[in-house]
Amino acid sequence: MSLLSINITEFAGRFHPVLVHLPVGILLLAALFIILSKFERFQSLREAITISLFLGALSAIASCVTGFLLSKTESYEPALLFKHQWFAVSTALISVVAFFLHLKNRRTEWIAGMIVILIMITGHLGGSITHGSDFLTKAFTSGTSKGGEAYGNPILNVQESHAFKDVIKPILDARCVACHGPNKQKGKVRLDEPEFILKGGENGLTIVPGKPMESMVIKRIILRKDNKDHMPPIEKPQLNAREIDLLSWWIASGVDFDRQVKDLEQNDKIKSILKSLESGKTTVVTVTSFLPEQNVEKASEAAIKKLHDRGVAIVPIAQNGNYLSANFVAVESFTGNDLQMLESVKKQLIWLNLGNLGLTDSNLEAIGKLFQLRMLHLQKTKIGDQGIKSLSNLSELQYLNLGATNVTVKGVEQLSGLKNLRQLFLYQTAISGDDLTKLKRLFPKTYIETGGFEVPKLDSDTTVLKAPVIK
Amino acid sequence: MEDNHKESFKIHSPEFNHLNRGIDRRNFLTKTSLGLGALALGSLMGNNLFGKLPGKEVGKSPAPTLEDEILRAIPHFAPKAKRVVYLFMAGGPSQFETFDYKPKLSTMFGQPLPESVRQGQRLTSMSANQSILPIAPSAFKFNQFGESRTWISELLPHTAQVTDDLCIIKSIYSEAINHDPAITFFQTGTQLPGRPSIGSWISYGLGSDNKNLPAFIVLVSKNAVKDQPLYSRLWGNGFLPSEHQGVQFRSGKDAVLFLDNPEGYDGKDRKEMLAYLSKLNKLQNEPYGDPEVQARIAQYEMAFRMQTSVPEVMDTSSETSEVFDLYGPDSRDPGTFAANCLLARKLLEKDVKFIQLYHQGWDHHGGLPKGIVRQCKDTDQATAALIKDLKRRGLLEETLVIWGGEFGRTVYSQGKLQTDDYGRDHHPRCFTMWMAGAGVKAGLSYGETDDFSYNVVKNPVHVHDFQATLMHIMGIDHERLTFKFQGRRFRLTDVKGNVVRDILA
Repeated sequence: MSLLSINITEFAGRFHPVLVHLPVGILLLAALFIILSKFERFQSLREAITISLFLGALSAIASCVTGFLLSKTESYEPALLFKHQWFAVSTALISVVAFFLHLKNRRTEWIAGMIVILIMITGHLGGSITHGSDFLTKAFTSGTSKGGEAYGNPILNVQESHAFKDVIKPILDARCVACHGPNKQKGKVRLDEPEFILKGGENGLTIVPGKPMESMVIKRIILRKDNKDHMPPIEKPQLNAREIDLLSWWIASGVDFDRQVKDLEQNDKIKSILKSLESGKTTVVTVTSFLPEQNVEKASEAAIKKLHDRGVAIVPIAQNGNYLSANFVAVESFTGNDLQMLESVKKQLIWLNLGNLGLTDSNLEAIGKLFQLRMLHLQKTKIGDQGIKSLSNLSELQYLNLGATNVTVKGVEQLSGLKNLRQLFLYQTAISGDDLTKLKRLFPKTYIETGGFEVPKLDSDTTVLKAPVIK
Repeated sequence: MEDNHKESFKIHSPEFNHLNRGIDRRNFLTKTSLGLGALALGSLMGNNLFGKLPGKEVGKSPAPTLEDEILRAIPHFAPKAKRVVYLFMAGGPSQFETFDYKPKLSTMFGQPLPESVRQGQRLTSMSANQSILPIAPSAFKFNQFGESRTWISELLPHTAQVTDDLCIIKSIYSEAINHDPAITFFQTGTQLPGRPSIGSWISYGLGSDNKNLPAFIVLVSKNAVKDQPLYSRLWGNGFLPSEHQGVQFRSGKDAVLFLDNPEGYDGKDRKEMLAYLSKLNKLQNEPYGDPEVQARIAQYEMAFRMQTSVPEVMDTSSETSEVFDLYGPDSRDPGTFAANCLLARKLLEKDVKFIQLYHQGWDHHGGLPKGIVRQCKDTDQATAALIKDLKRRGLLEETLVIWGGEFGRTVYSQGKLQTDDYGRDHHPRCFTMWMAGAGVKAGLSYGETDDFSYNVVKNPVHVHDFQATLMHIMGIDHERLTFKFQGRRFRLTDVKGNVVRDILA
């Protein structure tokens, strides 16, 4: 029985955020009517004042009641709550007074002004409770903007800096403190000051020193996003991988609030993350992304079906994305015309396998139009230097397999503009010796593979079977 | 397929008259009660509620099943590897003579295993009754190789040459202590027989890029010591539709059994025959909706396509002698481990999703030094050659190569310890396996064992963790690829498994 009544009060309380907007709107309108009705032109509005003051006062009282119930079920910053509560009650009272004064045909202009002022103050206080007291001013201060990095400015010397104050606190401030701080303590958890961090909340400890994987704060952060216990709530800015690593590292090293970064044990990964805080950049090495960063619109289903019916294995690269990979390995009696079908999916197609087909130079023009390609297999085809020029437009290309084709160094040279090319396979081509050295100079960042391994014979080589030697 | 049989289906034979009269009473009741209900539900939910499956055939049922929903979400993320080749070293290779270098043991020859190490852990009945458990150091030397300065035994000179491509896990552990449960555990995620093999899950989840070959192919070495049996259920589909079971390719005349046309039949009207058979099967399946009928139709069609594709892929005449030299002399003899490695490369070039090689003979309870020399000689060169060959062809970038057995072996000798002869019993508490290629860090040694390679002291990797990681590299969240069977949803890793993120590239 008691459980049920608690739930009903909680349920009613949750209507507060909806209800509060009624008195704000209605009472402001009533105030406007009162002022306007002084003018001859708007005399007729007088009729509406009674009903608007009545509804305004009623909804103000309802808001007060639901707000009171809500304050009992969640924990908020007491000082702010106190002010909001009593300003709200004053607003409700004065709107009731206004209603009765109006009924008795007394002057109500002065009271209309008071209503406007009280509503503004109460509304602002309410907003501060839910969105944080710096919600308005945040727009002017740079740094911790929504979804951005926790660190506004680079740390000058990270090893000399304070582990908690300079490295960990900014993360908590940016990602947690809005709901678990001085203004709000959801789940009775506060993560803004050392004493509160160690104290935990209504579900027990939030941080277990030395054991990140047993600490609720880490568990909830790495929980899958579709789980209701995931933190921060999915609509709020999330921690990035680097911030999670730092937080785990700090917990693993014993939750220390005083020592410097250099005094805590660091593995290579943490070292490099810490180092990156000095430059303000996420990663020290620039990595070309495996997938395009921006998503793309869906490819037309008709185009996909057409390719599919032709025997092309055309599949999405991953869920939640529209990028495609196409593989012609099982296409029977391939002709160059089959490549025309790819034109309609050129925005989506990033992996393409045309290996082992009767592909010739004249077909490469069609491939040159597939500007999104990241990975391209052309091995064991009849292509040569003539057609390869068409590939020089594929600026996103990272992997290119030209093994067992007729290409020579002259053809490959034309691709030197492909700045993202990371891997180039030229096994079983005529390229070797000086040509290869030349290419390696032309593509300094590219791994070029031509095969030609030799297994050196070792003294300890036991592949020639001999009796085991025992010491 | 061609269809020259347009007239409606009817069997003109007196025995089938009752069939021609229409469906019988029992069928009528089932169909009407279930069918009407399903029809009502379908119209309630709206046929377009789930939309249409892109690129995947839904058949005639308008509302996709739970299974369709699960499959449509795959790949869950962009795969690092598109293909897997798994070299299974059946029998349990000793970690002491291969990858797990334990120099401190050399001074402890013959001493009893300290109780502080064993801590009362169970032993098999083969060595539990021994009066002493004498420590047997490796009879073989170790050297450091590659930029990673990894210690590798002198028995693996070729593997040592590719050490910078390997991601060696020294801390893998299992719960099963005997061969069959252990190998079943590795292959299916549970020690009891009956669940689908990893390759079947991958085939079910990801399908195939090449419709002319099965997505899951199995090759068993003919030149291995057959000390422990391999059952075909290890590559079985369990409860998954049966077209996902592994297809074994054999050495000798028929690579795939019963694939060739029988004697006296020229095969000219095979296509027409299959088209009509498929029509009959579909007709039969319409009232029943048995997925096994669908599977059978798919298998007939696959077999037909394989009549051309298999001889093509088995033909090694276009390979140069340099390739045979790379894989070693055995590679010219079909069915050996070396020839199977070469065949695996050819299958990978044809975009087969999952290739599983088995090489038996690692179960060295006695005579380990002699036995392991032979095992290494049979496998080392071809294993390294496979990595090199894939690498130069640009395939290692998209292929995950895995090497490992079902468990490791004990530090103490089973039976009498002599300087030139000893044996080792089963040891599941720690052993070594490696991965190479797409998705894993090259040149990494992960995990540590104690000085006796008896317990894991750092970064343990459970069999389920390995399976979860393998799925992750293939773009599958192991928790989300499930199949409902007998009222419960099953997955490869059962209720466990964590992706070992530290080894991911």
